[in-house]
Amino acid sequence: MADNKGRLVDLLSKDNVESGAPCETKRLGNYLWDDPPDENKWADCVHCGMCLEACPTYQETGEEQQSPRGRVYLIKAVAEGKIDVNDAFAKPVFDCLDCRACETACPADVQVGGLIEEARGQIRQALPLTGFAGVFSRTVLRGIFPHQNRINTLGGLMRFYQKSGMQQLARKSGVLRIMPTHLKDMEAILPEVGKPVQGRFPDVVPAEGIPKQRVAILTGCIMDVMFSDVNEATIRVLTHNGFEVGLPKRQGCCGALHVHAGERETGKKLAKQNIEAFKEYDKVLVNAAGCGCALQEYPELFKDDPDMLPLAEAFSSKVEDVSKFLYDNDFKRPTAELKTKITYHDACHLAHGQGVRFEPRHILSEIPGVEMVDLPDADRCCGSAGIYNLTHPEMAGKLLDRKIDDIPEQVEMVSMGNPGCMLQIAMGVTKYGRSEKVVHTVQLLDWAYEKEKSATTS
Amino acid sequence: MLFGKDRKATKPDAIIQQLMRIVGQKEVLYLQEDLISYECDGYTMSKGMPKAVVFVNNTKQVSDVVKYLNKQGIPYIARGAGTGLSGGATPLGGEVLISLVRMKKMLHLDLENRKAVVEPGYINLKLTQSISDKGYYYAPDPSSQYACTIGGNVAENSGGAHCLKYGVTTNHILGLEVVLPTGEIIELGEDGVPDRPGYDLLGLLTGSEGTLGIVTKITVKVLKNPEAKKTVLAYFDDIADASQAVSEIIAAGIIPAALEMMDQIAIEGVESAAYPVGHPRDIAAFLLIEVDGVAAGIEDQIDEILTVCKDNQVREVKVARDEAERGLWWANRKMGFGAMGAISPDYLVQDGVIPRTRLPEVLTKIAEISKKYDLRIANIFHAGDGNLHPLILFDARIPGQSERASSAGSACLKVCADVGGSITGEHGVGIEKSDEMRFIFHDDEIEAQTKIRAVFNPDDRLNPGKLFPQPGRCVEVKQEMSKEGL
Ligand SMILES: Cc1cc2nc3c(=O)[nH]c(=O)nc-3n(C[C@H](O)[C@H](O)[C@H](O)COP(=O)(O)OP(=O)(O)OC[C@H]3O[C@@H](n4cnc5c(N)ncnc54)[C@H](O)[C@@H]3O)c2cc1C
Ligand code: SF4
Ligand code: SF4
Ligand code: SF4
Repeated sequence: MADNKGRLVDLLSKDNVESGAPCETKRLGNYLWDDPPDENKWADCVHCGMCLEACPTYQETGEEQQSPRGRVYLIKAVAEGKIDVNDAFAKPVFDCLDCRACETACPADVQVGGLIEEARGQIRQALPLTGFAGVFSRTVLRGIFPHQNRINTLGGLMRFYQKSGMQQLARKSGVLRIMPTHLKDMEAILPEVGKPVQGRFPDVVPAEGIPKQRVAILTGCIMDVMFSDVNEATIRVLTHNGFEVGLPKRQGCCGALHVHAGERETGKKLAKQNIEAFKEYDKVLVNAAGCGCALQEYPELFKDDPDMLPLAEAFSSKVEDVSKFLYDNDFKRPTAELKTKITYHDACHLAHGQGVRFEPRHILSEIPGVEMVDLPDADRCCGSAGIYNLTHPEMAGKLLDRKIDDIPEQVEMVSMGNPGCMLQIAMGVTKYGRSEKVVHTVQLLDWAYEKEKSATTS
Repeated sequence: MLFGKDRKATKPDAIIQQLMRIVGQKEVLYLQEDLISYECDGYTMSKGMPKAVVFVNNTKQVSDVVKYLNKQGIPYIARGAGTGLSGGATPLGGEVLISLVRMKKMLHLDLENRKAVVEPGYINLKLTQSISDKGYYYAPDPSSQYACTIGGNVAENSGGAHCLKYGVTTNHILGLEVVLPTGEIIELGEDGVPDRPGYDLLGLLTGSEGTLGIVTKITVKVLKNPEAKKTVLAYFDDIADASQAVSEIIAAGIIPAALEMMDQIAIEGVESAAYPVGHPRDIAAFLLIEVDGVAAGIEDQIDEILTVCKDNQVREVKVARDEAERGLWWANRKMGFGAMGAISPDYLVQDGVIPRTRLPEVLTKIAEISKKYDLRIANIFHAGDGNLHPLILFDARIPGQSERASSAGSACLKVCADVGGSITGEHGVGIEKSDEMRFIFHDDEIEAQTKIRAVFNPDDRLNPGKLFPQPGRCVEVKQEMSKEGL
C-alpha cells in the first residue's frame, strides 16, 4: 500500500507536458505521432449504418463523411495509409459534436467518441494551429483552463463587468455590434456571475443529521464561476440528504474541452491533477454531464500508459452523476409543492455518454406539483457541445433552432443536467423571445427542499 | 473554425465543374478524402472509388445530371443510405454517385385513402413514426429501417420481419416517379388503381437494384394499426424441434405477423450488443413469434402456438408481458447483424431462401461449411418465409480470411440453391452474388434478363456491372464450383 502510494505520487508528478514526452513513438500507417487511434475500436465497426440517422451532422448534411460510420472509416483509412492527416481529413473529424448519439445507436458498441478524440490528437500534432485559433488555443485552453486561479480572476472581471455598469455601457455603446453574432447572442444571456463555492464553503461541508457517507463533488472550473448557484444547490441537496460533502481544493478543470480539441497532453496533465486531488474519496459526484463523462473516460487518455491506466480506471469508477447518485440512494422526497410545468432535455453527455436518462426525470416527477411534459427527440444535441457553438456557429445554430422549436409551448421551465446546454438553450430562449426558465435538475430539487424548510421554520 | 489553414485547393476538373453548375457547388464532393467513405455500402468485401458524389434536391436535377453524364459517357449509380448488403451502391471505380438522401420530404399524406407520397431519401422508420399517433403504419420493416431509405427499399424490394403476413416492399408500392437512363421522367402506377392493363412495370422496377432507373418519388400504402398484437418467445434445445414447431404453426392455419429464429452464435452476438434480453446461452435456438389482428381471435392463436411449442419439447416459452418487453425483444432481434461487430471484427451476411421444412438439413450442411473453412457461422432466419441469413464471422486483417469467408458464403448459397431455394431473399444480388446467379439461372435465362435491362439501360451506364455475371467470369465460377466439389 505504502509502495503504491509512493508510486502514485511519482506518476502524478511526472509531467509529460512540459518535459516533452520522451516515450517511444508508436506509428500506425499515416499516423506518425504519439498516441495514435486504437485499431481495436474501428475493428468493431461492421459498416452497417445503424448509426447514420442518430448523428446530428449527418441529419443536417446527408454526407457520409459527416456520419459516425464515415468518420470511423476515414480514421481507419489514415491508418491503412490511404489518406493523409490533412485539412480535408480534419474537417469531418472536427465537425463532430462529440455528442455520442452514435454510441447509443450502434449495435456493435463502437467507441466513436474515443476514436474521434484520438484522431484529433493526431491532427493537432500534424497541423499546429495558426492565426486566431492558435492564439485562442494557447491562451484559453492551455493558459487559462488549467489554472483555477486564472479562471476565478476572469470570473471576477466578468462580475465586475456585469455589476459596474460596464455591461450596460457596452450594450449601449455598440461595442457589441462588432462582435460576431453568436458571441453577441452569448453575451446577452451570460448568467449573472456568482462567487465560486470554492473558498466560500469549507473544504468539508457537514451533513444535516447523522452522516450517511462522505462524498466529494467536482466543482468544475467554468461551472463554479458561471453557475456557482448550481454548485450551491448541489451542496445543499446532498447535505440535506445526509451526505458529508468534500470540496477538494486541488481539483481542476476536467480537461474535456482540451481532449475534444485534440489537446490530449494538457488533458492528461489535468487528469493526473484530478486523480490526485480526489484520492481521499471513494465517490466523486458531478453535476455537469460533460465533465462527468470526461472524468469517466480518463482511462481512454492513458490507454498506452500501463502505469497510469489502472489509476485512471480506479478513479473513473468512483465518478457518478449527481442525479443518478441521488436516485440510487433513495433521495428524500420533498413535501413542498412547486406548481410548474417542466420539460426535460437530455444532455448528450448524460444520456449517450453515461446512460443516465430515467433518474433525473424521476427526481423531477417526485417533486409535488411538478407536471412533466415530453420534449420530442429530447436526446438530440442542442448544439452547444463544449465550445462547438463557438467553433461551428452555423451547425450549432441549426441544432439550437430545432431544439427550441421542439420545446412544448405550455412549459414554464426546461430542466437539464449540464451547464453547457443551459447556456446554449438559454441563448435560444432569448433569441426567440420565449419565456421558459432554464434550470438544472438539482436546482429544482433544492428549491423544493428550501420551500419545505422555510414552511417548517415559519 | 479551428483550422490552421484553408483546405488545400484541388481544382475540380471540367466535369465536376459542370456538375456543380447543375446542382450547386456545395452539392458535389470530389476530394479523395471526401470520397473515400463512399467506397462501399453495408457490404465491405468489394470497394471502388467514385469519381464524385452529387447530392440532388429534386427530380429535375436528377434528370439534368443523368443527361449530362450520358453525354459524357460517364457511368453513374443511385445511392440511398448505403446500408445495402450486396454492394448495390458500391462503385466499381470511376462512377458518379447520385445521392438521394437530401430528397427526404414527405410530399403528401392521404390517410383516408391509406397512402403516402414520399421522396426517395425518406427514411423507412420515419414513415411509421410520423403516422403512428394517428393509428397507422408502414408495413415493410427491414432491420435497417432506422437508417435505410424508401428509395433503397424499392430498389432492393426489401423485406422485414413482418413481411410474412404483409408482404415485401413490392406489395406496398402504388406508384413511382422514375428518371430513366435517358434523363426522361416517367410516372408508373396510377393513383390507387391496383391493377392496370399492360405490363406490370411497377413490379419490374421494384427490386431492379437501381439498374433500370432512378426512383424520385414513391407512393406507398399505409395500413391501419392492428387492433391487438401478442408476441411469444420460445427457447429450444434442438434446432429440429424449433423447425418442426414452425411448420406446425403454419400448418395449423395461423399466419403470424412475424416468425423469426436465431441460433446459438447469433444469440451470443445480440446478447453482447446494445439490447441484451437475457436469453439463455446454452439453447440451440429461439423462436420469436408475433400474431396480430382483431382482438377476438388473438388469444386462441396464442394458445395454439404455446401448445405447438410444448408438443415440440420447448424448454421455456413465454408471452411478452407488455409493450416494453415486446419492444426489447424486437430491438434485440433487429440488432442481429450489427451485433456481430461485438463478437467479430467483420462479418459477411448471406441471404438464401430455402423451403422451410429443409432447415435442419441445411443447417447441418452450413455447420460442415463452417468447419471446412474454419470460420464461425451464425444463423438468423426469417423462419416463416424460409429466408435464411448465415452470418460468416471473420477478421479481414488476417490474410486469407476474407477470401475464405467469401468462398464459405458462396458455398452456403449453393446449399440453398440445391435444396430448391434461391440465392437471395431480400438483400439483392449487387456485386456480391452476380456470379452466383448461375446457381439458379441458365445462360439463356440470364441473357433474356439482360435484354430487358437493355430496353431501359442500353449502355449499362446506370449501375454497371451489377446483378448479372460478367460474361468472362462464368467459366471461372464453374471451374471453382467443380473444384470445390459443389
Ligand atoms: C444491419 C442491416 C440490416 C438489414 N436488414 C434488412 C432486412 O431485414 N431486410 C432487407 O430487405 N434488407 C435488409 N438490409 C439491407 C438494406 O438495408 C436494404 O437493402 C435497404 O433497402 C437499402 O436501402 P438504402 O437506402 O441503404 O440503399 P443503398 O444501399 O444506398 O442502395 C441499395 C441499392 O438501391 C439502389 N438505389 C438506392 N436508391 C435508389 C433510388 N432512389 N432509385 C433507384 N435505385 C436506388 C442503389 O443503386 C443500390 O443498388 C439490412 C442492412 C443492414 C446493414
Ligand atoms: S458523436 Fe455525435 S456528431 Fe459525432 S459522429 Fe457521433 S453522433 Fe455524429
Ligand atoms: S459505428 Fe456502429 S452503427 Fe455505425 S456503422 Fe459502425 S458498427 Fe454500424
Ligand atoms: S451542450 Fe448539451 S446537448 Fe449539447 S453537446 Fe453538450 S451535452 Fe450535448
